[in-house]
Amino acid sequence: MELLTAIAIGILFAIGVFQLLRRNIIRSAIGLIILANAVNLFLLSTGAYIGVEPAYVSNTTGVLSDALPQALILTAIVISMGGTAFVLSMLYIISARYKTSDMDEIDGLKN
Amino acid sequence: MPESAVLLPLIIIFSGALLSALFGLPWLNRRLTVTQLSWLLALAPLSSFCILVSFLDNLQANLILSWQVAWLPSIGLIAGLYLDSLSGLFGLLITLIGTLVIIYAGQYFKGDRSAWRFLTYMLLFMGAMLGLVMAGDVLTLFIFWEATSIISFLLVAYKYNDETARRGAFKALFITGGGGIALLIGLLFVSHVCGSTSFITILASGDLLRNSTFYPVILALVALGGFTKSAQFPFHIWLPDAMSAPTPASAYLHSATMVKGGIYLMARLNPVLGQTEIWFWLLTLVGMATMLAGAYLGLKQNDLKSLLAYSTISQLGMLMVMIGQDIEIAFKALVIGILAHALYKSALFMVAGIVDHQTGTRDLRRLGGLRRSMPYTFGVGAIAALSMAGLPPLFGFLAKETLLATAFHPSLPNMVAWIFTLASIVTGALMFTLAVMLLWDTFMGEPRDPTVRGHEAPKTMVLAPAIPAIMSLILAQLPGPKDEAALLANAARAAHGFKVKVSLALWTGLNVPLLLSALAISSGVALFIYREQVREFQARLAPRLTFNTLYDGILATIDRSASWATRLQQGKLRTYLVIILAGTVMLFIGFRGLSLELDLSVMRWPSLSFSGEMAILRIFALFLIVGASLASIVVGSDFTAILALCASGFGIAGLMVLESAPDVALVQIVVDILAMVILVLALARLPRLQRLKAQDVTFRQSPAGLGRDALIAVVSGVMVMLITLSALLSRSRQSVVTPFYQANAKTMVGSKSIVGAIIADFRGLDTLIEIGVFSLAGLGIYTLLRYAARKFGDTGSQLDELPVPSAPPFPTLGIGGQKPSSFIRVLAYVALPVAMVIGVTDIMYGHDQPGDGFTAGVIISLAVGFWYVVFGYDETRRRLNWLKASPLIAAGILLAIFTGIMAAFINGNFFSNVDFGHMLGLPLPKGFHLSTSFLFELAICLSVLGSVTHMLNTLGHPGEKDTENTRRLQEIEELEKQ
Repeated sequence: MELLTAIAIGILFAIGVFQLLRRNIIRSAIGLIILANAVNLFLLSTGAYIGVEPAYVSNTTGVLSDALPQALILTAIVISMGGTAFVLSMLYIISARYKTSDMDEIDGLKN
Repeated sequence: MPESAVLLPLIIIFSGALLSALFGLPWLNRRLTVTQLSWLLALAPLSSFCILVSFLDNLQANLILSWQVAWLPSIGLIAGLYLDSLSGLFGLLITLIGTLVIIYAGQYFKGDRSAWRFLTYMLLFMGAMLGLVMAGDVLTLFIFWEATSIISFLLVAYKYNDETARRGAFKALFITGGGGIALLIGLLFVSHVCGSTSFITILASGDLLRNSTFYPVILALVALGGFTKSAQFPFHIWLPDAMSAPTPASAYLHSATMVKGGIYLMARLNPVLGQTEIWFWLLTLVGMATMLAGAYLGLKQNDLKSLLAYSTISQLGMLMVMIGQDIEIAFKALVIGILAHALYKSALFMVAGIVDHQTGTRDLRRLGGLRRSMPYTFGVGAIAALSMAGLPPLFGFLAKETLLATAFHPSLPNMVAWIFTLASIVTGALMFTLAVMLLWDTFMGEPRDPTVRGHEAPKTMVLAPAIPAIMSLILAQLPGPKDEAALLANAARAAHGFKVKVSLALWTGLNVPLLLSALAISSGVALFIYREQVREFQARLAPRLTFNTLYDGILATIDRSASWATRLQQGKLRTYLVIILAGTVMLFIGFRGLSLELDLSVMRWPSLSFSGEMAILRIFALFLIVGASLASIVVGSDFTAILALCASGFGIAGLMVLESAPDVALVQIVVDILAMVILVLALARLPRLQRLKAQDVTFRQSPAGLGRDALIAVVSGVMVMLITLSALLSRSRQSVVTPFYQANAKTMVGSKSIVGAIIADFRGLDTLIEIGVFSLAGLGIYTLLRYAARKFGDTGSQLDELPVPSAPPFPTLGIGGQKPSSFIRVLAYVALPVAMVIGVTDIMYGHDQPGDGFTAGVIISLAVGFWYVVFGYDETRRRLNWLKASPLIAAGILLAIFTGIMAAFINGNFFSNVDFGHMLGLPLPKGFHLSTSFLFELAICLSVLGSVTHMLNTLGHPGEKDTENTRRLQEIEELEKQ
């Protein structure tokens, strides 16, 4: 199972990077979100396969799943959501400034 | 008296700075004139002065007051203050002259409503300077040291519209800041050798330091810091340029404080770094060069303040020489010199300021004859200038006498003694000439320029320089000013390391120093009489290559190499991304790739059974995630790509359910939807043509370019896969901390959900920062888009002021300009209250069941987002005008912090759990706990709601380019009419 998860994370990452490098600015944003998803999946997989029961104290029947990575992902999801929204607004501003959403026409970093 | 009383002077001055900054508020600014404000603020340094005086009793007995607080005890970092006689002497000068300068500035800036800014900087500087001399460890010292450099930059560049002021400020910062970095490294070496950053330890490890192999390095670095700060040759070039500061700042910074910082540092460290051959030569040579260069260059100046600046340089050089000597009398000369110079130089600067203020010029070639129109200023200036000239019966005379006595001291090597004596006489003569020239050309004779006319300044403005001037008269006259002498003696002892006898007797009989002094004064008189000829000679001798040329050359070289280095930059965002990613991949391959240890034998293959792992469902979820993401590449339309992304997110949520993480799955689902809503809003905000054009070129690039991107993507994917595998296979299966959480969630937090307990309690501070980041993202988007709107002409700039229509029809419709059906509208109406109920339930019962404040916030926001989609921007803002984003964020964060502090008060731990319902015995529904966790979750919900509202409001705003909507609206209206 680890191999499958690792491969899935690898593919997700590759897709994210590839999307990030597109000329279309919206695709770059999508790429960023996919990268964040890959990272969340990675965090999840570090805690997986230990327990099968949700991490509630009231669950006394089985092995509880690892709560720590879950809490970390929770934080990571929120932060990456905030970050994505912020990046989106920056991308929007770049589009508004250069009157284009084509990354190849944006060369203002030079000046 | 508690040790922490040492903090008091600092706290008072910084509170003064805060108070002054508050006067930037218009409604407060109106209440007081600048003069009144300055009187009020002068109370801060004055009371600090009084407190320091009250410490004197302790200091006289040569005790020290020290206070420390553990900062990062695990790596041995402490922060603290240290007050002995040496710091006390500096502290008294800082606060006394500070008081006078603040009052003086109140007159100088009379009628200037924005002068609160100047007063704030001055008080901040005062606090930083006081902190510098009272620092108890090297790091505190360094922080305050840098603070003085930075605030002095702000003060010198106070008139920021003036280019020379900006250049002067930059020069000062460049040189003193560079020295500061050297000092930091030097001080770190010192604390490394001594094993502690505290001065108490450092000052007791002199032999350790002097015998250390690092000694030459430490000496060079520390001296570099001290020399740059104290404007020693050849770093002196910043001081004359810093004269573009407003005169009150010069009077303060460049007489008694900023430049004395370097002197303080060297004197403070002299007992542990000094008394060596190399220290002696370094300080003596540099100091002597500074002494002579300052006095010589001073004679060339026509500007009152420049003249004073150069004489200051000369004086600083002399003090530096004193620190380098290893004889008792040198330290007597040092402390007397510090005191004398601070008194007369601050007075002279303030007098120069008055002259400038009243006549409009500081040019000696135009001034003259002001003694009649400004008699009081003349009187004050005369006393101060004669003290500078070193004439009896003023304090400056005493300073010069002790200097000459040091120079002629028999313990010095023969050759040095001769050069030193000669240099002292020459400097003395030049200083005499400078002082008399300054006085004569300003006040005596007839005005060179008849248009320059002055009238007497207000009494308080003259009073400020009068006090130090009169002090330099009185201090030399008192028969036995025991207290002062004792303080000076102790200060000198702290700087020397051994006992120093200090008497302030003016007449010590007819001896060699007196004769030398007479020689210096008579040569000074001769120089003064022939000053025009001498100055002409100087002008002819002027070297073409000065240190300023060198400084300009260095700056130009930095500029040139920067522009050369940035030629590599070709400006396209995508190229940078390619370079960054390719670089990362190469780093990985180069350093880590070959050494990844993969022990594949411990890997478990999916077992195709439903008993344990539900492997097939997991594999299905993984396929969904990967497949949907892949689809986001290949689909043509951006909107479809966003939908595919959303599906991928749902796949992740599904996997989380299978991994038994219901809380995370819930958050993932709501965040996924929210991300989609925001993406669609942003997409809809882009002009349609632009959007379509970009959509067309998504894949349009050369095959080689496409191949390169694919290669980078594949290699980084493989890299991440390898890292993941290695992380998953090589780590221990059993978490170390999780059992603690499992065992204590119920007992310590009263929460059945372990994840919830971690979020709200165990790692509560983490969560607080997390919602801080999220709120900042919301505020950031709001600010960015407003800025962009103003800059690039978009209506968003009036987001707040946008006229909200009071009644239908509203100008914008839902997404795409569609008028939604009544069914959808009713659904939207119902959705919001339902979402709120769900949200509140989430918060109330989040302890025991999935759900938390964040989910609640996002669920409510999603309902709001739904409104945006259905009703469009205008109608939503109108109907939900109670939904105020920024106040919500503020309320959320304040509530969170308040909750944490409340828990700290009750339980002693920040963010620990307190169950109020249980404590007070309230009849609450079963399963609901009115506890700090509940309040914290509520706070999270509020701030998240506020932040998302900001995102929706700004990204959901249609913008003026969206003419499509208006066109549709018109069409619909026409249809309705028919």
